[in-house]
Amino acid sequence: MEHAGTRVQQYIGDPVSDAPPVGRAKLEEIFSDIQSDMRYDHELNGCLNCGICTATCPSAHYYDYSPREIVQLLWTENLEGIYDAMQEKIWACAQCYTCAARCPFGNSPGGLVMLMREVAIKHGMESAKNVLRPFSRVMLKLISTGNQLSPDMISKDGFPDWGPNISKVDAPLATLRKAIPMPTLHTTKTAWEVNLKTSVELYTIWEETGVLESLKTIDKNLHDVISDIMDEKRDELEEWLEEQEED
Amino acid sequence: MTTDTKVPAPGERFTGHGPEWRDARLDRQDAVTATVWVEQIINKRSMLTQKDRVEDVRDIMWQLEKEGEIVVHRVSDEHRPTMVKTLYGWDKKIPTTRLWHHKSCGQCGNIPGYPASLLWLMNQLDVQYLDETDQTSCTAWNYHGSGIGNLESLAAVFLRNFHQAYVSAKAQGLPEGYYYPLVHCGTSFGNYKEVRGYLLRSAKLRESVKKILAKLGRLVDGKLLIPEEVVHYSEWLHVMREKVAERQVIDCSQIRATIHPACHVYKMVPEDVVYDDTVLDGNRVAVSTGIMQTLGTQVIDYSTWYDCCGFGFRHIISEREFTRSFAIDRKIRVAQDEAHADVMIGHDTGCITTLDKNQWIGKASGRPVDVPVLADCQFAAMVCGAHPYKIVQSHWHASSTETLMEKLGIDWQAKKAEFEAYLKEVAAGRIETLYDPRRMITSGPGYKRIAPTP
Repeated sequence: MEHAGTRVQQYIGDPVSDAPPVGRAKLEEIFSDIQSDMRYDHELNGCLNCGICTATCPSAHYYDYSPREIVQLLWTENLEGIYDAMQEKIWACAQCYTCAARCPFGNSPGGLVMLMREVAIKHGMESAKNVLRPFSRVMLKLISTGNQLSPDMISKDGFPDWGPNISKVDAPLATLRKAIPMPTLHTTKTAWEVNLKTSVELYTIWEETGVLESLKTIDKNLHDVISDIMDEKRDELEEWLEEQEED
Repeated sequence: MTTDTKVPAPGERFTGHGPEWRDARLDRQDAVTATVWVEQIINKRSMLTQKDRVEDVRDIMWQLEKEGEIVVHRVSDEHRPTMVKTLYGWDKKIPTTRLWHHKSCGQCGNIPGYPASLLWLMNQLDVQYLDETDQTSCTAWNYHGSGIGNLESLAAVFLRNFHQAYVSAKAQGLPEGYYYPLVHCGTSFGNYKEVRGYLLRSAKLRESVKKILAKLGRLVDGKLLIPEEVVHYSEWLHVMREKVAERQVIDCSQIRATIHPACHVYKMVPEDVVYDDTVLDGNRVAVSTGIMQTLGTQVIDYSTWYDCCGFGFRHIISEREFTRSFAIDRKIRVAQDEAHADVMIGHDTGCITTLDKNQWIGKASGRPVDVPVLADCQFAAMVCGAHPYKIVQSHWHASSTETLMEKLGIDWQAKKAEFEAYLKEVAAGRIETLYDPRRMITSGPGYKRIAPTP
């Protein structure tokens, strides 16, 4: 009897089958993308399997994740293992770089994880899409304003496990923000007031460095929303510049 | 040895060590004996300095400037620099005035007393600075959390923001290079130093970002602008600690303080981190500990000082069980039970947020924790007489800052009442600020030229 594939089987293949989850050519392409990053040789210098990285790793306490394993997979060019790790394990890393501080070889397992995450996004892997889903509001805020976090994101409803003391003074958020003695912080929708020209400049960086294309691969709707917002901001800045010329 | 012979069932243990791993089942004393030699080596400064690869990227920087490839934004005499020693004993110049505040999105978003306390201290010390709207986040929180972004985008953002710091004084009729960037966020600090290193080492990266910076009009004489030093605010506070202590009005000698050194401050680009042999024998990063010692607190060491806070970048948003478990079990509970801490002091955005906000949930497991959490500059401002609500903005902290204030002899209820009265003034439009608000817009919509600062 044939069973419908599980989610794991769908994305990483059948764990008891000898057949590779994706073709050899695809695995080589993924590894080549990781290896060709200019940071790769700086972050990976050798490995004796001492495990000092995993011994200090916070994520290894809680997840099926080991920075030693990540380094070994890359060092031995285990393409199937690398692909497998990119489905879930690389997203467990807390990016604290304690592994890098301890490694006697000067490796940076946390840095290597970042290269693998970038490539997971480039290839539109499902793991990346799952990870980025809760990040969509941060992404929208960051790409369209130049700030990643705003005061109106922090609420008792949004973070119930932070308890009732998120704000110990009962007053409207806008009033509390105006009571901060830094005028740049009198905002609720961005962490600080960001100049219109500044956010347009940042958007140009996103465009020119291929970040927007990466975002499109992962979340097309979010990409389209951001594009609309930024088109409006660009028009607004253009209008202002034209007014200046007329004056 | 323990008599517990239970062997975990397959799949029961998820430690990342692989299925062949078996617990040695040592009792506490045997475990200490087996690992004590590790403790003598690990997490000491020597662990970092014993490695082979040692390279000061500033040597490459000066060579590239000599070859006409880049322009270096110097820490000049006008910035009144103080020299400090870094990991390998190298010199680092810390500017002490004419500072451009590179704000932190997390600090400004949910710990606003963090930057406000820093600016308040600068006002007390007659330090010139600029806090303006023409700057973006470093974007590294998002990068480390989601993987969206790349080396090129991080480098372009770094160069754009630092270029703005370089030209910002023109809005006040002052010369380029007048203000020097002071980075508030630890993540930005680590990221910018890492990116600066790659920019200096890679002609290919310089070439690609130069095209982008040219498009933005952000080159100097057609060249990339690289800062001589990437400076974190905690380094400024460290070199100013004696002057800060001169303004201290509250005795804090009875306060037991624990320090949480931030990962992206001292584990990323560790060769650029400040160490001082007079601060915990030079085995810990000197910032924060130095100011707390100078203010007279009892700095208490604890066994998990080197652990991260549990922030995890994406974890605090979407893996919250990890974040709060790690923050409580590896940091806060250790500080409370082992060090009997009255306060935990940090110097980075994500750490303060994580350690401060994730204590309340400890009640759910029937093992509550209670350690006030503040940034070093907030504590320093408070004991120098800054208003705990109007300046330190302690009401944004979820941890029990009131307990700390009581130990410091501050009548927090009276101060809170003053602040609540002030909120009525704010609602009526009567707002007190640390600087002239007209200075915060330096170009674009809303800009109006004002006279240079005397």
